[in-house]
Amino acid sequence: MGEENVPTSVVQFAQLDTLLNLCRANSLWPMTFGLACCAIEMMCTGGSRFDISRFGAEVFRPSPRQSDVMIVAGTVNKKLELAVRTLYDQMPEPKWVIAMGNCAISGGPFKVKENYNVIEGVDKLFPVDVYIPGCPPRPEALLEGIMTLEEKITGKRRWPRVQAGC
Amino acid sequence: MNVPVHLRPDETFVLNLGPQHPATHGVLRVKLTMDGEYIVHAEPVLGYIHRMHEKLAEAGTFAQFMPNTARMDYLHALAFNHGWALVVEKAAGIEVPERAEYIRVITVELNRIASHLLWWAAFLLDLGGFTPLLYAFDDREQIIDLLERVTGSRLTYCYLRFGGVYNDIDDEFITGTRAFIRRLRGRLPRIYHDLVTHNIILIKRIKDIGFVSAEQCRRYGATGPVARGSGISYDVRKNEPYSVYPEFDFDIPVFPEGDSMARYMVRMHEIEQSLRIIEQALDKLPGGPVMGKAPKMLKPEAGYYYSAVETARGSLGHRLVCDGGKNPYKLKLRSPTFSNLSLFGEVAEGMLLADALAFMGSLDLVIPEIDR
Amino acid sequence: MDLTETTRAALAALFPGAAAPAAPATGDETTGSAAEPAPLGVSVLDPARTGTWLAVHCRPDQVVEAARILDGQGFFLESIAGVDWPDSGQMEVLYDYNRLGGATCRVLVRARVARDEPVLPTISSVFPAADWHERETFDFYGIRFEGHANLIRILLPEDADFHPLRKDYLP
Repeated sequence: MGEENVPTSVVQFAQLDTLLNLCRANSLWPMTFGLACCAIEMMCTGGSRFDISRFGAEVFRPSPRQSDVMIVAGTVNKKLELAVRTLYDQMPEPKWVIAMGNCAISGGPFKVKENYNVIEGVDKLFPVDVYIPGCPPRPEALLEGIMTLEEKITGKRRWPRVQAGC
Repeated sequence: MNVPVHLRPDETFVLNLGPQHPATHGVLRVKLTMDGEYIVHAEPVLGYIHRMHEKLAEAGTFAQFMPNTARMDYLHALAFNHGWALVVEKAAGIEVPERAEYIRVITVELNRIASHLLWWAAFLLDLGGFTPLLYAFDDREQIIDLLERVTGSRLTYCYLRFGGVYNDIDDEFITGTRAFIRRLRGRLPRIYHDLVTHNIILIKRIKDIGFVSAEQCRRYGATGPVARGSGISYDVRKNEPYSVYPEFDFDIPVFPEGDSMARYMVRMHEIEQSLRIIEQALDKLPGGPVMGKAPKMLKPEAGYYYSAVETARGSLGHRLVCDGGKNPYKLKLRSPTFSNLSLFGEVAEGMLLADALAFMGSLDLVIPEIDR
Repeated sequence: MDLTETTRAALAALFPGAAAPAAPATGDETTGSAAEPAPLGVSVLDPARTGTWLAVHCRPDQVVEAARILDGQGFFLESIAGVDWPDSGQMEVLYDYNRLGGATCRVLVRARVARDEPVLPTISSVFPAADWHERETFDFYGIRFEGHANLIRILLPEDADFHPLRKDYLP
């Protein structure tokens, strides 16, 4: 099927939207939703070596009501499912979700025949905008995920794409 | 905190801490019955990251479980690798060459330092200080670079194999580790102790907070820095030695006060002792192969086996029941943090909420290890 | 007498009238395969091979007495595990005790119960550590611990209706 442009809000600002999207993309406030091992790589990204602050995203908010993007870093359980859904619902629009790590994408190493407790991917619960594979993904991969989300929001990519082999 | 607290059990409300909370270090929920700011009753609720590790152990072969071990306590993943390798090597009678044992000790101790640095950073973040996190992560990145050279991973290592390790260390790793030891030894007194340990705010926040007696540790089965901070001299590396730890000269820091400050000091001294062990291991490192002889498909003799290793959080036990087949029949993972957290309910009664969070931080919790 | 000897002598009180064991045995002694579970009694094991110094195979009603004896000797409860032996229609509960400091002596206390009606007395009055361990064993296997103050699920959701670590369970 073809591409469709679905407006996200009733009121459209035309050219001002481009500016608003640029502002939103460069100041994404993530919610601290580190559940398991991927959370540590998320913390490393917040550290001074990889520095998520260069992309405006260092303000990790504990409360969903103050955050733009939920970086699901870790495995979601049947016991945690309701809490995750509630947190997603509590986030105000416009909101985005980054599924970080194999567990958040598809259940990861726990997607086996004997699985009785793990939700196989958070996209079963709510729509996901960016998937970052890895177990755990490197901090550089999380930064690439943030840049992909920025590209999704603004339509333009901030950094040139690195070509292999040059 | 010597002021007597009079709780009013008839005027309480229930406060839910977690499962999404910056201070719970993972998905832990604590149901607190509060009288104002004082805790009347604390009940930890677990299971929000239960990932069926024991069932998965029964479902796959012995070798297929090795990657799972790193996902339990991802901060000291190599020690979890080590515990699993030890129990299977005991069950199957596999010999490990000496060079591999030394490499195991060097990498496990480097990982222990990285784990303590992250604990330090997260603990201070809970207490309200953000800057120590940046300093600790700087040192931790040095360790991760060294370990990545050798193991290929940054966090969830799957480096040990039954019979040794799968990749040898090279000279650049050895020079890099020695440079790191010098660097950290220089930074510990200036940045870690002058800036933080002797800081009056930290002392006021954690001294005399969260008193755990030695008898409580025994009744709840608490091990590791929690027990050593209450005056109990128990470290699996000394009391039930394994691998080549008897070859090294190191001390077990024990502080008798039993408060959060004692547990803090135990871990800071453990970093220094780990640096000593790594130095000695690098000096004595023998040559030779890094993999012993192990059959492709392991079928250990039927029986009941146990191995204990000292992780950054306490004594990790693997209770393995084999039935002669190629899968483990039953694996019980004795998680150190599970036992350490079980005394939270008793100790937190009557504490201020902020003090209870400082106490919880000093217990060094990693929730996926509790929930397995 | 060394620690293993004193503990063995104290535990022998569980089995009055039994003879003292011979030299330390290998892991075969505690082979609890479905075909031939080990006999009731105290056995001395080889710690280098099995990681355990003493093994006690007792009746389910004796576990509290064993816990009291070991508490009196200054041990701590390291872990409680359940094992499912569907072929022989039994479930087994393994209690691991150890010393906190000084010489090491790990003691494994085992008790077998019927698989359709697995009931054991709780030892949480002796060791508060057993509180959570028994809840976990109940959660995974459905083994009930009589006298436990709060025997509810600990790791699975509260409304789960299955016991996942049983051998006949597949989601």
